[in-house]
Amino acid sequence: MQRPVSSLSLNPGVKVKLVSAGFQFTTDLLHVKPQQLSKEAALNQQEALEVLQAVRRADEGAASSSSTALELLQKEEEELRSIVTFSSQLDAALGGGAPVGRVTEVCGVPGVGKTQLCLQLAVDAQVPRCFGGVGGQVVYIDTEGSFLIQRVADLAAAAVNHCSLLVEDQEQRVAMETFTVESILSNMFVVRCHDYIELLAELHLMPGFLSDHPRVRLLVIDSVASPFRPLFDELLQRTRLLSGFAQQLLSMATSHDIAVVITNQMTTRVQGAQSQLVPALGDSWGHAATIRLLLQWEGPQRLAIIVKSPCHRVSTVRYTITSEGFRDAEQWSEPLSQSETGKQGV
Amino acid sequence: MDRLDLELNPRIAAGVRRARLRSPRDVLCVSALELQTITGLSPSDVQQLLATAAAACRPHRPVPAVLLHRGECPRLEPGLRLGVGCVVINELLRGGLPVGRITELSGQSGAGKTQLALQLCLCVQYPTDYGGLDSGAVYICTENSFPIRRLQQLVTDQYVMRSDVPPSLISTLKFSDHVYVEHTADLDSLQVCLSRRVPLLLARGLARLVVLDSLAALFRCEFQAAEWQERTRQMLNVSSTLHRLSQEFSTTVLCINQDWVCSSLLSPLSSSVSPALGLTWANQVCVRLMMLRSHTTISRGNQHSALRRLEVVFGPHLARGGVDVAVWREGVRGVLSSDRIQAQHQSSQIC
Repeated sequence: MQRPVSSLSLNPGVKVKLVSAGFQFTTDLLHVKPQQLSKEAALNQQEALEVLQAVRRADEGAASSSSTALELLQKEEEELRSIVTFSSQLDAALGGGAPVGRVTEVCGVPGVGKTQLCLQLAVDAQVPRCFGGVGGQVVYIDTEGSFLIQRVADLAAAAVNHCSLLVEDQEQRVAMETFTVESILSNMFVVRCHDYIELLAELHLMPGFLSDHPRVRLLVIDSVASPFRPLFDELLQRTRLLSGFAQQLLSMATSHDIAVVITNQMTTRVQGAQSQLVPALGDSWGHAATIRLLLQWEGPQRLAIIVKSPCHRVSTVRYTITSEGFRDAEQWSEPLSQSETGKQGV
Repeated sequence: MDRLDLELNPRIAAGVRRARLRSPRDVLCVSALELQTITGLSPSDVQQLLATAAAACRPHRPVPAVLLHRGECPRLEPGLRLGVGCVVINELLRGGLPVGRITELSGQSGAGKTQLALQLCLCVQYPTDYGGLDSGAVYICTENSFPIRRLQQLVTDQYVMRSDVPPSLISTLKFSDHVYVEHTADLDSLQVCLSRRVPLLLARGLARLVVLDSLAALFRCEFQAAEWQERTRQMLNVSSTLHRLSQEFSTTVLCINQDWVCSSLLSPLSSSVSPALGLTWANQVCVRLMMLRSHTTISRGNQHSALRRLEVVFGPHLARGGVDVAVWREGVRGVLSSDRIQAQHQSSQIC
């Protein structure tokens, strides 16, 4: 198939010159020398070089990017493990946890456990491979100020303790020597973004950071809603920025093999006389994430619902937040006062 | 664009001037493709421009969390808590209110919210060794006038309240000189107060606690039901100002809120009340505390107090749960279970 020159990502002026000089398709440019091109299309040296580089990139991309479904399946099974949540029911529903290479969005009202799930994943992403983890590093972008190191240290200590109880063979014993609270915290990179500009800037520079730190397996943004919601008056601008933002997240997730987990707030939508709770940032943002997880209260219990996913059934699981972190809810339903005070160990 | 001009290739800088992009922020708001069109630059130049603009807009690089843990990054984690002056409550709050974040305290009228807020105005003045922040407090009243008599009473009873602090230290602190009181009756004056006067006090280090008592009153009376959009905008305005102040000056912000009957979807509380101002506001606070007043009375010596419960509704580092508290003459204190048995015993004797 031939690709028209006009579809290349080039300066519009340069494209016009190319087409008027008779270069219609990229194949026409494949065997042209830069000097020849600059003479024929009346471009300067620099422009001609860039045109040829763009053509070569497009050519290579077309040749290498396709792979068969079988290869993808093998890659997913062997290399791309999911990041466990430490709640076996939620892991089962998600097929192993937050998947690497995809964007997962977590929505919920304040206090339901969005941040707790993010912090838990940030710790779990570092569980060594021999314990079924991915043994990676983590980038945590905090936009709400909810990253409290005290809590992270709690979760890290609980995870280390959990793994130390599972040690069976020599390999795991060796792995435990480097899996400590100190190492978990030093492999977690934290950024605080105060507004949407800082968040956009951070995301622009993220591919460079990921190339410098190839072991990063998880990017958390908690939350996307709070920097973008003040853009209340400029809805068009917000939608445009958000769609670009979603694209960047997706391309980072796939090209660097990382799991991207973002959180979103809830808002009230009034329709006629009725009102309901819906995730914030509008309908078009709903397409941004591959998997959307909704956390909500049902009486005293917390529920996680997979609302949208191409590869999971819509399902609902119960979970709880204990002093150790994000865990399965007990099978029997305890009254609120007992279970909630029991977890504090008071 | 002055700052960028120095770092950019003259060719790119010329393109930027052509497109009338004034700041790095403007550059980041435009997509790469559109930048190419308006600046007339090549894709690689545009990428370079975007990278330079992004670097200019990003104040700090990602830091490993272990530095926060060791307390080597006070910008992200001041490592301080503002203690409440009572061991029981401090244990519930894991040391006290977080610095650099917004804490909300809600409850029905008479629950003891203002009492706790006044107490914090004194606690903040102690040195950090005693749970304070070694600075003063700003108290913004929107509804009632500032309860100055009660503050005086608390000041004179500090010797009783803070038996953990040497009396010689308490006598050196001039408590009422370091509580700055502001009265704002409407949203406009609140904005003026938060954007001009409060930053001045915080910048000089005269205060590290801002109490807002209460926010709900302003929003409840100024807007009709149909004006919800304007209301939301104003609320986000106020909350972003508070966020900025608390971050920039590593200050504790305490907002007092009232209770409102609300749907059970929003919170797990069995009672049907939940804090006013709805979801938009709830999304802005970091820690939410709630005070409930019960009908039981407990007594100690010749003092009587209604039994209250201080609950943690949510907080990233806090477990849900609560403690019983009572308001005494010297301040708000947690009620230990041994006290309570005694109290019940006493009340049965009285009956």
